[in-house]
Amino acid sequence: MKRSYLGYWFISPWLVGFLALTVLPFFISIYLSFCRYDVVSPPVFIGVQNYAELFSNDPLFWKSLQNTLLYAVFAVPLGIATAFGLALLLNLELRGMSVYRTLFFLPHIVPTVATSVVFMWILNPQIGLMNSVLGLLGVAGPAWLSDPRWAMRTLVLMSLWGVGGSVITYLAGLKDIPISLYEAARSDGAGAFARALHITLPMMTPVIFFNLIMGIIGAFQYFTQAYIMTQGGPQDSTLFYALYLFYRSWRYLDMGYASAMAWILFVVVTLTTLVVFKTHRKWVHYGD
Amino acid sequence: MTPHSSSQPGALGRAGLHLVLLLLAIPYVLPLIWMLSTALKEDSQIFPREGSAQSALALSNLIPNPLAWHNFPDAMATVPFVTYLRNTLLLCFINVLGAVLSSAVVAYGFARLRFRGREFLFMLMIATMALPGQVTMIPTFALYSKLGWYGTFLPLTVPAFFGVPFFVFLMRQFFLTLPLELSEAARIEGATEWQILWRIVLPLSKPVLATCALFQFLGTWNDFFGPLLYINDPEKYTLAYGLQQFMSSYGGKWGQLMAASTLFILPIIVLFFAAQKTFIQGIATTGSKA
Amino acid sequence: MGIEGSSFGKRQLRRLAFLANVVVACVLLAWVAVPRAEPRLFPERIPVRFWHMWSGEWKIVIDKIVMRFNASQNRYEVVALSVPGGSADQKFLMAVTGGDPPDVMAQWNQVIPAWAESGLLVPLDTLMQPAEWAELQRSAYPVALKIGSYAGHLYGLTTGINVFACYYRPEHLEAVGAQAFPDSLEGLMALADRLTRFDDAHRITRMGFMPAGFNMYAPIFGGGFFMDGRLSLNTPRNLRALTFLSESRQKYGFENVLKFESSLNTGGFATEWPFISGQYSVAVDGQWRVEQLAKYAPELRYQTAPIPAPQGGKPLAGFSNGNFMIIPKGARQVAGAYEFIKFWSGVDNPERAAEFYTWGGWLPLSPRITRTAPYQAYVRKYPQFETFLDMLSSENIQPTPPVPFQVLLTDRIIRAEEGAIRGSVSPLQAISTLEADVAREIARRKSFGL
Repeated sequence: MKRSYLGYWFISPWLVGFLALTVLPFFISIYLSFCRYDVVSPPVFIGVQNYAELFSNDPLFWKSLQNTLLYAVFAVPLGIATAFGLALLLNLELRGMSVYRTLFFLPHIVPTVATSVVFMWILNPQIGLMNSVLGLLGVAGPAWLSDPRWAMRTLVLMSLWGVGGSVITYLAGLKDIPISLYEAARSDGAGAFARALHITLPMMTPVIFFNLIMGIIGAFQYFTQAYIMTQGGPQDSTLFYALYLFYRSWRYLDMGYASAMAWILFVVVTLTTLVVFKTHRKWVHYGD
Repeated sequence: MTPHSSSQPGALGRAGLHLVLLLLAIPYVLPLIWMLSTALKEDSQIFPREGSAQSALALSNLIPNPLAWHNFPDAMATVPFVTYLRNTLLLCFINVLGAVLSSAVVAYGFARLRFRGREFLFMLMIATMALPGQVTMIPTFALYSKLGWYGTFLPLTVPAFFGVPFFVFLMRQFFLTLPLELSEAARIEGATEWQILWRIVLPLSKPVLATCALFQFLGTWNDFFGPLLYINDPEKYTLAYGLQQFMSSYGGKWGQLMAASTLFILPIIVLFFAAQKTFIQGIATTGSKA
Repeated sequence: MGIEGSSFGKRQLRRLAFLANVVVACVLLAWVAVPRAEPRLFPERIPVRFWHMWSGEWKIVIDKIVMRFNASQNRYEVVALSVPGGSADQKFLMAVTGGDPPDVMAQWNQVIPAWAESGLLVPLDTLMQPAEWAELQRSAYPVALKIGSYAGHLYGLTTGINVFACYYRPEHLEAVGAQAFPDSLEGLMALADRLTRFDDAHRITRMGFMPAGFNMYAPIFGGGFFMDGRLSLNTPRNLRALTFLSESRQKYGFENVLKFESSLNTGGFATEWPFISGQYSVAVDGQWRVEQLAKYAPELRYQTAPIPAPQGGKPLAGFSNGNFMIIPKGARQVAGAYEFIKFWSGVDNPERAAEFYTWGGWLPLSPRITRTAPYQAYVRKYPQFETFLDMLSSENIQPTPPVPFQVLLTDRIIRAEEGAIRGSVSPLQAISTLEADVAREIARRKSFGL
């Protein structure tokens, strides 16, 4: 029994931080979501009005939720596939592999603020590098970020540029698959494809699962690129949830409304994550 | 396609692989090359002049001519670069220390000690990662202000000492893969849990510690929002904030802006290149028992 | 791979440890070696902390004004801080909430109504002597007071009004045989067609003239968003303006114009203006470009003219905004801040302040300043500036409506224009959506009791 208290001591730094910097602000923000609050004057309680307004009377709320879901549905699976594929390649034994790994990882560590500006240039419809290259191939490129039909797709494509972080997790996962498994399969006469399908893939499901969860959380909080490159436009086609929330809070000084939005986001993210967790026993393989 | 495969590809296969990897790498590297290329261009090389829709930005003009090296000293002269660098490095140092040590202690608690509600608390910690930062931002800010921390480095450093959920997660997974026998042996010899953590577990966990240290370093290096909210004194600004300042104000000086960005990311690239292997090692979530 | 840690590249770890040491060494070294970034010049004086959003060539002008103020008296020292424009408002609000606001801030964003309504700003008229306030109300340009006022109080004192007019290249006009600048908007549009150039792929390489800005053209078409003390969005005149903006693009192809525009430099500095590189023959911009052109493109031949009125529209009309100074509630040095504002804006000494206005190429607060010798000398030096002075006293220039949800209103106006000028919605649909969005916001605010 002595031990049980010891555990709390060990996790106490997190517990203290959690109570002070998460739980407390968390409950305050619940309260704020039932208030009108402009940051500076004291909050005024207004009941469920913020929520009522959001659900029944705010087309931008639904638009931003829809945009965010759309982004998540495409960017998360594409990101997983791209990262996994790259990791398989980067796991091969080849001279100079560390250079390649660095090359693919680089975009991940470069601050988004800096890269977003670079991308705005590269994607410039008339003088950008992208359409210049496409022009060589005889393709007339679209107005990537300023065309409402293309802006969202462009952001999804751009997200693949930053998969370096998850590539590393896949690489780490691949390194952890015991060689003995492959050797056993090989002696059973399994070909390269069969080995990939029956050993690599199942053994990698925990990492895929991890990236799926992190990807979903990240997609719901997607903000910086849209904030810098499109400001939600053209015509609200890239108005992401977190961006609209930011506008509501810091541009329109509607903190109560924004708190309600943040709460709805939290519930949506938690529910989605829970659903994914429920399915995970069916497809995630834990070794041994 | 198997890791540690004993069958090495032939010379032809290797050449093919290099080709594939190089082709794939192009889109990942080109923007950075473009950044560097623009950093070395005069403004006149960046924009099209009257009568041409095609620009100097086109592929054919990727290599600047003449090289405008002066963008670098110009950019460094515009902001007090050394002051910002000093502040950034100081914050990085404190945060790395705080985050790694506190997360290790917490992770050890979750990995090796049994207590009521452990699983629940762990899930709760993971769940906080899903909490949008916007939810807690205002109350947190109010809290720090009440404590009188506004305008100091404290709001930017103290939170790191409460353990970082993502690091706790990584470290816990790593600690779980370490064999119990060693710590059991130590325990029998009368070592406390604290001693086991410091003398046995941590020395075996250097890769994951290094990984978390790197992540924290990157996070602090790139953080611009924190300094934006809490710092009011140019003496205390950081590089990321300086870069942001540069961006919103030098909107049109593209050469200088890109030179500043290049300077900003250079240290991270060097750091990652040096630590690349440890990094991958450290992320291993399950650890090999082979 | 062993768990003893021996096989994880020890070298790697050593390298990392080395890097960590380098970092520590750098910090220590830098701490000792680097002097304070901006030492106070007059540490014995009362500091007045001044935030602004200017940078680069502009910041130099601001620093000069601050220096003058500090030299003009020996009680206060204004300490200027340039805050990144994109996040300045947020930083300001945080600073006020955090109890550590600046004493005075120079702004140009649409902040006055919202911040005033939240009780964030000190009403400047309460700091003035009654006679001083009466004199200001009598003498200032009406638009200057409109920009700074909300609900009967003055919260921002303008230190520069912006009005917008056409800059044009006479040699472009001569080349297509145009004798004079057109005196109607219809005439200008016809001329623009002759000035516009395309390349082989039908891409625009030079734009004769392309109107933009719903808030600019609504008043020109005799409309506007604020009439007789209330919002007026969905009106026939506003619709005409929006339709005009949409049709001007449609004739070249919405997409084509968009592509051309996105290829232009949009930076705020002198040399970055596409008009200088000849990509526009006629461009609408603010009066500060006169000063910039003189400084950075002295060889360029250009002339200015007000945007001509269309049939049934209004002359000397358009949008107006400006730079203004605010004092936040909770400022520690309200008196010092106000001294500085007075000094800069020229409320007490027009002669002295006139010079500051000329440094930035700013339009002054009141005709008293315009009439001073230094300002008159400036106008004589830059005759093109006169167009803007003419517009300044016009009744037809309109700032953003003084409603507490100004930012949202502006955002929705921009969205309406965006839809119409891309051809994705009709101007009528765009303007109806705008009206509905704003009506919803008003209803919501009402339900709060605001």
